Amino acid sequence: MAILERITRNIDNRYWDPGTKAFPVKNRYTAGVAGQWFFEELKENGKIYGSRCEDCAVTYVPARIYCERCFKRLEKEKDWLDVGTEGEIHSFTAVHRTKTGEEKEEPSLVAAVKIADGLLIHRLAGVKPEQVEIGMKVKAEFKPKDERQGGIEDIKHFKPL
Amino acid sequence: MRKVAMVGAGMTKFVRRALETPKELSYEAAKTTLDSCGLSLDDVDCVAHGTAPDAFDGIHQNGEYMACGSGGWNKPTMRVFVGGATGVHAIAHGWYHVASGLFDTCLVVCEEKMSSAMPHAQGFFLTIFDSITERPLQPNLLWIFALEMNRYMERYGYTKEDMALAAVNNKRNGLKHPASQFTDEVTVDDVVNSEMMAYPVSRLDVSPVSDGAAAVLLAAEPVARRLTDKPVWIEGVGWTLDTAYWATRDLSYPRYLDKAARMAYDMAGIREPHKQIDIAEPYDPFDYKALHHLEGLQLSPRGKTVELLRDGHFAMDGNMPMCPSGGLLGVGNPIAAAGTMKACELFWQLRGEAGERQVPGNPRLGVAQAWGDLMQVSSVVVAGI
Repeated sequence: MAILERITRNIDNRYWDPGTKAFPVKNRYTAGVAGQWFFEELKENGKIYGSRCEDCAVTYVPARIYCERCFKRLEKEKDWLDVGTEGEIHSFTAVHRTKTGEEKEEPSLVAAVKIADGLLIHRLAGVKPEQVEIGMKVKAEFKPKDERQGGIEDIKHFKPL
Repeated sequence: MRKVAMVGAGMTKFVRRALETPKELSYEAAKTTLDSCGLSLDDVDCVAHGTAPDAFDGIHQNGEYMACGSGGWNKPTMRVFVGGATGVHAIAHGWYHVASGLFDTCLVVCEEKMSSAMPHAQGFFLTIFDSITERPLQPNLLWIFALEMNRYMERYGYTKEDMALAAVNNKRNGLKHPASQFTDEVTVDDVVNSEMMAYPVSRLDVSPVSDGAAAVLLAAEPVARRLTDKPVWIEGVGWTLDTAYWATRDLSYPRYLDKAARMAYDMAGIREPHKQIDIAEPYDPFDYKALHHLEGLQLSPRGKTVELLRDGHFAMDGNMPMCPSGGLLGVGNPIAAAGTMKACELFWQLRGEAGERQVPGNPRLGVAQAWGDLMQVSSVVVAGI
């Protein structure tokens, strides 16, 4: 879902559905102050941003507006940095079953990719399950710019270098 | 048990839709609170935080999610949630942590982000009712508040105009609160003539949907005295539950609050609350609830509250100002944060730091209250200087 799209007037929705007698409610999340900046960089510039607390010597990825260890405010101008689009596989799994329990034709790969001191959870591509190793260097592959919507799936997947 | 004081307080603005995530809102309130008393996160021994239903923020197990924004990283952290009563309940919960001797300081943070629920947070309330006897009738909170309001008015011969007086009072006070989401004063006519929601509840009888967070820092006596010349002591806390068969409650009198208030007053050594309490922050999601709760808090005789209100007893310059903050009707109602905002108000008022909305005459003793769950739980905190 695009993060910039919002319903701002409740009246634009119909509360009770007379047919089903349901009151459909869903959650529509704001990306937050940090999230808005982070995803705009991802969408517009294809960059991954982290934020660094010098006092704690930690670089958070994705970037945040505060350090959870010491509560220092991490300012975009001062403390945010482009951490590049490469990382290393910190851990991974090969998913063999669909969420309804059927066996997949090909297992799909999911990795925790370490970038600076943070982890991004994402899909892995361009590598067979038996070839994946912890510690392997990977790089983010982005969707073309006109398909990016300001979400985590603007990154298609990570691929071994 | 050790004496416990509030030594710092802070909050975000209350708004209809915040860009901040629940974590970020919690951070802003918690950080402001620490800054207000010159402490850093290292000085915080534990965190007591609260949000009301997970459904509003839309994050299951929201307590864990927002812990890092509340300062809970690598600290003993515990969440309470009792619906609307959460904001004051969390103070009692934090008080326990310190009064028990287990911790010297406790950061209490409450947050709610109701705007995530689309189209409206009311939809989630459907699931709090009995799934067999009530849910098929599609109840929502406006309905059941309407039943209660109607019964309360009937018992004492009150009119909608009478109830609207409370909305006018609180909304006027709220205009002076820098965190308020309102800009306009309203009149009794405005309230009575606003859109009918569920008789007798009209739109302006009701507090708004809001996003926001509020926090206080609690400290044990020796620490509190080192930190500030003006600790605001937690003199008493109380909480009770009435029946979950909500429709069998006495709708015209908040019995759930009667006992909670008496528990807090007993702890505080207060025998005549209507004479001893200087400022009252009754929970006011609806205008009639402010009056209903003043009666439950033993601050006004049953059935005489409107008369006292008309006489100016509860005005800012009256004997017992009601909701000097503006309350939920005047500041906003991010559920859990709203109750904590009331405790923050006691902190600022009793220290004489409430600025433009400072109650005259150096108030020394105040009470804040919140109410929630299935309309049957109430929490009370008495604070004094």
